Amino acid sequence: MLFFRSEDHVRAWCAERNVPPRPLVSLPQLWGLSTTWYGTRLAAEARRPRPTEMRSIFAGLGLEGDFWDPTADAFE
Amino acid sequence: MKNFDAEVKLAIFRWFAETGRRPELPEVAGCIGSSEEVVTEAYLRLQADRVLSLEKDGVSIRMAPPFSGVVTEHVVEVGPLRYFANCAWDALGIPAALHRPATIRSRCGQSGESLRLEVGTEGPETSDWLFHSLVPAAHWWDDIVFT
Repeated sequence: MLFFRSEDHVRAWCAERNVPPRPLVSLPQLWGLSTTWYGTRLAAEARRPRPTEMRSIFAGLGLEGDFWDPTADAFE
Repeated sequence: MKNFDAEVKLAIFRWFAETGRRPELPEVAGCIGSSEEVVTEAYLRLQADRVLSLEKDGVSIRMAPPFSGVVTEHVVEVGPLRYFANCAWDALGIPAALHRPATIRSRCGQSGESLRLEVGTEGPETSDWLFHSLVPAAHWWDDIVFT
C-alpha cells in the first residue's frame, strides 16, 4: 500500500513487477478510509469493521467491485 | 474480545500514541499490572483477531495498525512526536486516530520522489498524489506485512 505521484507511476510500477494495476484511490478517499478505520482506535470499544461494514464503507467512498469485497474469491 | 485482552490492546495503542514507539512486553505488563506470561497469551489472541502483528519472537509488536513497531518509509510528525506508519493508508490513519494535525513524509513508490503532506483534523491538503494497493481486500491479512 503505497503513495504514487501519478497514474503513470502506478502503471510503471505494476509493469516492472508484471502485476495488474489495481483501482486508484485519491487522497480524499484515503482520508475517508482512515477516519472510518482508525477514528476510534484509541477508544476502549474500538474494533475492526466487519465484512458487511467494510463493504458499506468502501461503497460510501465510491470504492466498489470485487477488489474491495472482503469476501471475494476473484483474486485467489 | 475478553475484557483483559481489550485492556492489553488499549495499553498498547495508548503507549504508541503517547511515545511514538512500540511498548516492550514488560512495559505493557507494567501498565496493566499483570504478568508477562498472561500478557503474551493476550498478544497471541489479539494477533488472531487481527489487532496486532507480532515479530517471530511472539512478544515484539511489528504492527498495531496504524502504528508500526519498526522504522518505515512512512513518517508521521505530530507536534514533537514522530511515528512510523505501516503503509500509505496508515500514514493518514495516524492523524485520524490521534485527531491531531500532522505532517506526513513519504515517497512515490515508483520514482522515489518525496511526498510532504500536511494533514489537518478535517483531512489532507489538496493533492493529486494517489494511493494504490496491490493486494485486494479479501487478502489483506493473508500476509499483512507484505500488504
